Amino acid sequence: MNALESISIAIDAVRSQKLRSSLTLLSIGIGVFAIIASTSIMNTLQQAVNGQLADLGENSILIQRTPTINFGTNWAKMRKRKNITYAQAQQFRDRMTTTQLISISNESPAYTIKAGLESTNPDVSLIGIDDQYFAVNAIAIGEGRSFIESEVILNRRAAVIGTDVVKALFGQGSALGKTITIKNQEFDVIGILESRGGVLGQSQDNRVLIPITVFNRYYTSEWDASVDISVKAESKLTLESTFDEAVGVMRALRSVKPWDENNFEIDTNDAITGQFSGFSSALLIVAWISGLGALVAAGIGIMNMMLVSVRERTREIGVRKALGARKRWIVRQFLIESITLCQLGGLTGMIGGLGSSWAVTEILRGTMPSLSYVMPWGTVVFSIVICTVIGIGFGLYPAWRAATLDPIEALRYE
Amino acid sequence: MSQPIIEIANLVKRYEMGDEEVFALQGVTLTIGRNEYVALMGPSGSGKSTLMNMLGCLDTPTSGSYLFTGENVSDMDDDDLAEIRNREIGFVFQTFNLLPRATALQNVELPLVYAGMAKDQRMQRATEALKRVGLADRMDHKPNELSGGQRQRVAIARALVTSPSIILADEPTGNLDSKTGQDIMRLFGELWRGGNTVILVTHEEDVARHARRIIRLRDGRIESDEVNPHAPLA
Repeated sequence: MNALESISIAIDAVRSQKLRSSLTLLSIGIGVFAIIASTSIMNTLQQAVNGQLADLGENSILIQRTPTINFGTNWAKMRKRKNITYAQAQQFRDRMTTTQLISISNESPAYTIKAGLESTNPDVSLIGIDDQYFAVNAIAIGEGRSFIESEVILNRRAAVIGTDVVKALFGQGSALGKTITIKNQEFDVIGILESRGGVLGQSQDNRVLIPITVFNRYYTSEWDASVDISVKAESKLTLESTFDEAVGVMRALRSVKPWDENNFEIDTNDAITGQFSGFSSALLIVAWISGLGALVAAGIGIMNMMLVSVRERTREIGVRKALGARKRWIVRQFLIESITLCQLGGLTGMIGGLGSSWAVTEILRGTMPSLSYVMPWGTVVFSIVICTVIGIGFGLYPAWRAATLDPIEALRYE
Repeated sequence: MSQPIIEIANLVKRYEMGDEEVFALQGVTLTIGRNEYVALMGPSGSGKSTLMNMLGCLDTPTSGSYLFTGENVSDMDDDDLAEIRNREIGFVFQTFNLLPRATALQNVELPLVYAGMAKDQRMQRATEALKRVGLADRMDHKPNELSGGQRQRVAIARALVTSPSIILADEPTGNLDSKTGQDIMRLFGELWRGGNTVILVTHEEDVARHARRIIRLRDGRIESDEVNPHAPLA
């Protein structure tokens, strides 16, 4: 008998025992669901963090109105925070003494960029920057140049574009000196970003940089008019004092009373990584422990189900043995059956886990536009493997019981 | 006598029930040749079922020897016994014992599956066997879509399909009405005339009458072993 026939016997057995099977399958499903969903969501968030940290250079501090990534955040309180306006950011820049490497930027996702008859997908990130941006952030110009201070002040319609955008609009041709259109405004291309490839599937080259003054005029809504400030300390040694000064200056500018909390977010590169990895590993551990716990419980359920199945089919086993089934045939039949059961449950959990983590990503995208779903292939493979292991582990004893039944007793069983 | 298939000498089977020892068989000696038609009779407790289990290689004796076509079965392990059963013995049970979720064809294929035969060859052999028992038009029916007589025919086809050395039928008409029972007995007769070796286990004289040789057991011993004077002519 080939495996396919055993599998169809298993599916038959599931069908004939709908309630019992579906309860057992459910518990496997829950286990796989917990593992897949948590890992998948964490992967996605990790990617968002990495994406942000990839931009932020070494010894850097990021100041934002609300955190890009945070958990247990009181969003109601966050919403009340006043925007960090461009003017406020400029004041901040002027008051800082420990470093001059300060860049003001703002980002808005999902633009369509056009050049002549060509246009990109509507997923290009548009970033308003100042002349310090490349000095502070870990992003480099590959070709051409960036903006100079006067271009930022004078609203020059110039753009530095990523290689994905170049490819989409100009193919293999050169983009420098060409004109692109963003929502009816024309820009001269003065520079091309150095290609950085993707971070976990999300391209870092699909972006267009324009002077923040122009950005503020045409491409911000009330909601995202708050700018981000990146501050680079002059060295690792001065990072702490620069950080302290930045907090003080911001509090003063935003009139925070001495007894109140900061009404803005300020984090170093390390702090963001640390916060996130602390949070994510705690959550992953909890989810995996409960998931594996559910799987072990499910395994016991499988074993019970298989034992009942062996008892109910005692006579059938007797017949099979009388007709010449060797022990290993019987063992194999019941093992394939229990593995099939586990895989059916696992599949249910997998679909649920992938679906819900995808949905969570979509919902989070509302506040973190840079998120994109990361398929947790490793975990998918892992859950298929673990379902097989559980099927074998917990199916072995019932299968062995079946295989060693005395055929005479089994045939007599009513 | 033709070449013996079964040679049993001084077969003893002892069970332990608590402290008590029960001798189900106390020294049975018996030879059955190729293309014999034997009825094994006896009241309950006579050792008839135990002897049948021995003959069917479902069980091994406590002592004595059992040669099946010259092979010593007495000290075989479970898997060797399974192989002998698969290759040499076709079982027909009182309660048919078909797999309820499988079609007639799949039921008949089962022994060939265990013999490791390829799918299309299996199909062909099983189809032939079902034709032989007159069920060519019921191959895709499940047991619950068949009458009692038809089910027993499927079971007989399943017993035939491996071309075994013996067909061992345990009260094959016990669950059938008398007319259907007669049809089934006629089928066994045809199989015997076609060259098969048939062993019937029964307590009914009417059934045993069809056999050419009747062996009667009592208290674990052979009471009589004689040619059946009433047997229908070959």
